[in-house]
Amino acid sequence: MTEPILAGGEPILAARTLSKEYGTASALVRAVDDVSLTVNQGESVAIVGPSGCGKSTLLYLLGGLERPTAGTLALDSQPIHDMPESRLARLRRHAVGFVFQAFHLVDELTALENIELPALLAGASPSAARERARDLLEQVDLSDRAAHLPSALSGGQRQRVAIARALANRPRVVLADEPTGNLDSAATTDVLRLFDQLRTAGQTLVVVTHDSRVAATADRLISMRDGAFVDETRLTGGSARSLTEITGLEA
Amino acid sequence: MGRALLIWRLALGDITRRRRQSALLVAMIAATTATLTLSLALQGVTNDPFARTRAATRGPDVSALFEPGFHGTMGTLAQFAALVRSPGVTASSGPYAVARLELIARGYRVRVHAEGRDRDRAQVDQPLLTAGHWTADGGVVIERGFAEALGVHVGDAILLNGRRFAVRGIALTTAMPISDPLIWLTRSDLLALAGGSEPLWESLNLKLSDPAAASAFADARNPPNAAWFLESWQELRADDSQTIANERQVLGIGAVLLAMIAIAGIAVLVGSRMAEQTRRIGLLKAVGGTPGLLATMLLAENLLLASAATVIGVAAGRVIAPELTAPGNSLLGSAGTAAVSAASVALAAALAFAVAIIATLLPALSGARTSTIRALNDPARPPRRHPWAIGLSSRLPAPGLLALRLIARRPRRTLLGMASLTIAVATVIATLMERHTPVLGVRVAGNILAADKQASLEHVATVLSVILVVVAAINLLFVTWATVLDARRPTALARALGATPNQVSTGLAGAQLVPGALAALFGLPAGLVVFGLTAGNPLNADPPIPLLLAVIPATLIAVAALTAIPARVGARRPVAEVLRSE
Repeated sequence: MTEPILAGGEPILAARTLSKEYGTASALVRAVDDVSLTVNQGESVAIVGPSGCGKSTLLYLLGGLERPTAGTLALDSQPIHDMPESRLARLRRHAVGFVFQAFHLVDELTALENIELPALLAGASPSAARERARDLLEQVDLSDRAAHLPSALSGGQRQRVAIARALANRPRVVLADEPTGNLDSAATTDVLRLFDQLRTAGQTLVVVTHDSRVAATADRLISMRDGAFVDETRLTGGSARSLTEITGLEA
Repeated sequence: MGRALLIWRLALGDITRRRRQSALLVAMIAATTATLTLSLALQGVTNDPFARTRAATRGPDVSALFEPGFHGTMGTLAQFAALVRSPGVTASSGPYAVARLELIARGYRVRVHAEGRDRDRAQVDQPLLTAGHWTADGGVVIERGFAEALGVHVGDAILLNGRRFAVRGIALTTAMPISDPLIWLTRSDLLALAGGSEPLWESLNLKLSDPAAASAFADARNPPNAAWFLESWQELRADDSQTIANERQVLGIGAVLLAMIAIAGIAVLVGSRMAEQTRRIGLLKAVGGTPGLLATMLLAENLLLASAATVIGVAAGRVIAPELTAPGNSLLGSAGTAAVSAASVALAAALAFAVAIIATLLPALSGARTSTIRALNDPARPPRRHPWAIGLSSRLPAPGLLALRLIARRPRRTLLGMASLTIAVATVIATLMERHTPVLGVRVAGNILAADKQASLEHVATVLSVILVVVAAINLLFVTWATVLDARRPTALARALGATPNQVSTGLAGAQLVPGALAALFGLPAGLVVFGLTAGNPLNADPPIPLLLAVIPATLIAVAALTAIPARVGARRPVAEVLRSE
């Protein structure tokens, strides 16, 4: 069992001996095995590991999209491992923002409409949701693409729209699953810059990745193998280091 | 042989993998063939009961009525009576005195044809007693269909022209058109009641050496101004069959409506299977299948399902037919199983196979045109973008937002589902109208038998509307399932972004409720049109308005109930699983 890893500040996520199993008997697969983790406010955590090691499953567990087989999990100080689905959905609206490897934008909605969707689902007025979406679109430097459909955007632009969407309800934590997995180098730099800005602004981040450049931007690096944590590194620079220094790419 | 075996295995494998879709397709085609079979089976269904009654009552080949001052003035009673000596006449009965009397019983005031007959041993047209005894002074015998419509039995009292009589017997005949209520009483009672207020009529029944030539015999002796009128047994049978003809008309229109519902359902089915089949075609093309082989496989699969549907549909038609074709009370015996001829089966099969071919052509052509890689990778049709719907839905609460956007994604599917529901609602409205149409003058003018015929028509309309509602319900279930499957990713995403399962399931159900409400609204006027086409003038109907309006909330409740389960299942699918698999 891996000991809880604690960091300073108010905990946003607190997982204790978390496990997730699929299948039964001889076909049993333990995707997440007895994992404990605390993520504090303003902290940036990267989880790395080979494909199939369970890091995406852990991220879905942390966001309440999957239910753990065992263990406890608190999000924003509220236990969510056995929280009723409707309550969990309402909590998730303002506590968690998701960024997916496959972007998961709604094909028939424009960039602006995609970004305002979480706010509308959370009950915001159409004008407030639209205003917030415009601000976010500006932050991700895509104001001129507001009326474009996802099919008319590049991969990097799609992921920036997805990041903006994740921030629509000002979540306590952003969970990103391989955010650069489908991107080329230039697009990766754009996304990294965006994450760097978020971290600088104090946004709590948990990023699952196998890209070392993405991992290097975090305050803390956790390695996973066969569903369990095998190593943890507190990065010396983290937010203090420049993006150019970390990635070796031109910002 | 190897190729045939391969096609057979692929087709069978496809059917077993998609059991639910296959069962729905079979159900929809079977319902259509069942109604077509019913419609065709009604052809000539009353011939047998009529023939049995005719034989049991020594029914006339020609029935004649002398009506001075009614049909014309040419001819005397002596000349009328001389008809029995016409060439070809082998036996006769009458003339019997006939008068129109006013009958009052159980609240009805009815004009009847009363025939004066003392004896019950006529050589031609001896009414068959089914209850009680033949006429005696002070006692009447009533034709069975009329007695049933009035609700009178042996021993009951009735008034004839204000005089009290006892019902002595109930009897059957084929000698008079059943649209005229008929009673028998003794000649002396009849003469006393007629009292010279109206000219007395006389009836005559003839047997011919060549019954088949009865119509020609009657036509030759029916000059325009004659004081009598002759009617052949074929014409009498045709009058009797009128109810069945009306039923056949209702069923004919019903078959068209059902075909429309089935086509709407099949279009949704074919559309939703397209993506999956295109992917399958891509896979089979990748391993060496030719477009010809794949089209043959799809055709074999659909023909197999259509064959099963034909068998089920024809069998169901045979079972339901007697429900629709029971003869009126004025005839002897039961219609039994309506004849389902080879031609009926062939027509029903042709319809089913036509559906199967349409269901094959679309994906086969699409599959042949699509490149193998594209078919494997990206088979789904891109959803439609409707800015007005997106703008409008932004102003709605989360379930409304989801519902409207789901509708806008696949507008054609929504329209097809709505068309199917509109037809079902229209049929229910038309049936309600039919059930609340009073027969004009039924209580005063002696047209009470029309009520009996109407009851029969109502029965047909009710059975038909039940079939249509069942098929529309199957359709609705399928449309909802197709929507749930198609919306897997957007609904999972909505949940990841903060929508609750209840909001998603309400949204999925709402995507059917909105078109359901429109279908209920459109179905009301459409039902009036259907009623006008099948039964008559909607202005004559007098249905309670609240009852008709209740169809709207009833439709919504039915839609909500039918869509609740698929919508709930769709909203509770694990989010992570869906997002990972897409």
